[in-house]
Amino acid sequence: MLLPQILLSGITAGAVYALVALGFVLIYRGTHVIHFGLGEQVALGAYLVVLIQLYLPIPFWPAIFLALIAAGIFGFIIERAVMRPIKMQPILVQIIATLAVGLAIREGLRAVMGPQAWPFQFLLSPVPQSFMGVHFAWANIAIVIAALLVMGALYVFFAHMKLGRAVLATCQNPTGASLMGIPVPTIVSSIWVMASVLAAIAGILLAPIVTLSPEMGLIGIKGFTVAVLGGFTSLPGAVVGGLILGVIETAAGIYVSTAVKDATTYLLLVLIIIVRPQGLFGALAVKKV
Amino acid sequence: MRRVRRPFLWWLALLAVLMAWPLVASEYRVFQAGVIASTAIMALGLVIVTGVAGQVSLAQAAFSAIGAYGAALLATKLGVPAYFGIPLAAALAGVAGYGLGLASLRLGGHYLALVTMAMTAIVQVGLTHWETLTGGALGLMVPPLTVAGKELTSGFALYYVVVPVAFALFLGVSNLMASRLGRVFAALRQSEVALQTLGINVLHYKALAFALSGALGAVGGGLQGLQTTFLDPHGFGIIESVVLVAVIIIGGFRSIPGAVLGSAVFVLIPELLGGFQAYKGVVWAVLLLLMIVLFPGGLAGAGAALAARLRPNAGAAR
Repeated sequence: MLLPQILLSGITAGAVYALVALGFVLIYRGTHVIHFGLGEQVALGAYLVVLIQLYLPIPFWPAIFLALIAAGIFGFIIERAVMRPIKMQPILVQIIATLAVGLAIREGLRAVMGPQAWPFQFLLSPVPQSFMGVHFAWANIAIVIAALLVMGALYVFFAHMKLGRAVLATCQNPTGASLMGIPVPTIVSSIWVMASVLAAIAGILLAPIVTLSPEMGLIGIKGFTVAVLGGFTSLPGAVVGGLILGVIETAAGIYVSTAVKDATTYLLLVLIIIVRPQGLFGALAVKKV
Repeated sequence: MRRVRRPFLWWLALLAVLMAWPLVASEYRVFQAGVIASTAIMALGLVIVTGVAGQVSLAQAAFSAIGAYGAALLATKLGVPAYFGIPLAAALAGVAGYGLGLASLRLGGHYLALVTMAMTAIVQVGLTHWETLTGGALGLMVPPLTVAGKELTSGFALYYVVVPVAFALFLGVSNLMASRLGRVFAALRQSEVALQTLGINVLHYKALAFALSGALGAVGGGLQGLQTTFLDPHGFGIIESVVLVAVIIIGGFRSIPGAVLGSAVFVLIPELLGGFQAYKGVVWAVLLLLMIVLFPGGLAGAGAALAARLRPNAGAAR
């Protein structure tokens, strides 16, 4: 198969992985916890759209808008009800708490929506088109464009808006930030809200091209891999890591086999963590005594 | 760490009760008790590595897969009986665990969780795609345990296999945790640096903790394979690893009897729910969250706190 084809398919997947990874990086930088349940929040985002359309007679786009708000509220609740009370517990306990959040979402979805797959609407036409020998669908282009728009919005938010800069300051040095009058607890809440909304966006973009079932939360592992590739603290790193993983995975699926495609992510994750734990772009963090 | 030399007589009494109980209990209860015992063995491994030694492990489902698939394949392909096959698979899992521990050299909490998670996922992908060996997604039948020409398949017969093994392992581990090794593991959790200054090879002991947990996971998995008689790659994924972590959290994290308590809760939850089976996963997850946020000591910890309140002087001895 053609290289441009692989690049195009890889970038489509990679753009979504990057969105998930951005959520991980945000939460990690803001709270020094990796949220192992974020993958499940990706699935939840897509399910929320389905749920809202089941119970409210409204069209697709307003349903998406409502789902994003609901996802944000959900992130807020997780932070307030679970993560904040155990903030002072050992990191082990916090990791297990995020795993438990993921398990609760996944099992909740399975109980309420059933284990079967749900159909999910494409943002644009999924009919394959052809341009200079490269096959594509407008739906996939829409995914890339939407992901780029979100990343652009994040960039503007962090570089030019007061709240964004407060978030960055909190990530860098919570004590210093609070001395400068930044309400750190509120900022931490807003980080969880943002990451949850990002996850929901990723879920809504991804649901049409993968199967929308409770298993969709496993996308989280791709997000981890991407975040680790990018160094886990770098927002641009997450974006580049996403594209790299998307392309590598697609290439492995085409040139080797689908079994290898499944394993690529995991092997890459282990390899990077063992060989280059600081990621491709991160600086090596020396553990202090 | 608290050092308790449990009186030998208590263990003997417990064994007597465990051996006599099936004679008066229903077949179904006996089967359930057997499943609790095999689950508790897997959880016991996690108590060592995660509870005592403080190293997050999401690899326990992979180890139990090594035990279950390893023993079943040794039996079907090479005719090795389960009483040799399970220990062999456990040894293999122990070696794998040691290797995983070595690989975790520089890894702190999060990255360790990620690596062990990836290991479970890789094992699961292997089980699913190596169809000629493992039967792939269709699954694999586990040949029954045959002792002296008799096939042990009933819950009653297997109870008398699984429970004594579990008993011996629990006795062994609780002695081990009260020994020098147990104290080194506890110190790993508290301060690796302090251990290093005492000239102790931290990496070796970390790997040893993983090796022990791997071997126990494999024994539990192998025994549970005999009980369920059927293996499916879906039963050995990341979720199952998380569920096992939940078992020890709900039971009491660092508590050895907690592994049994947590396993019992896990096995009995579906029964308490009656007609609401679809919600068992949610109930389990919410229970886990409640435990983490409200009772970090788990059931065993809650019990100990209660006992300490009833006997105020006993609490001071800790």
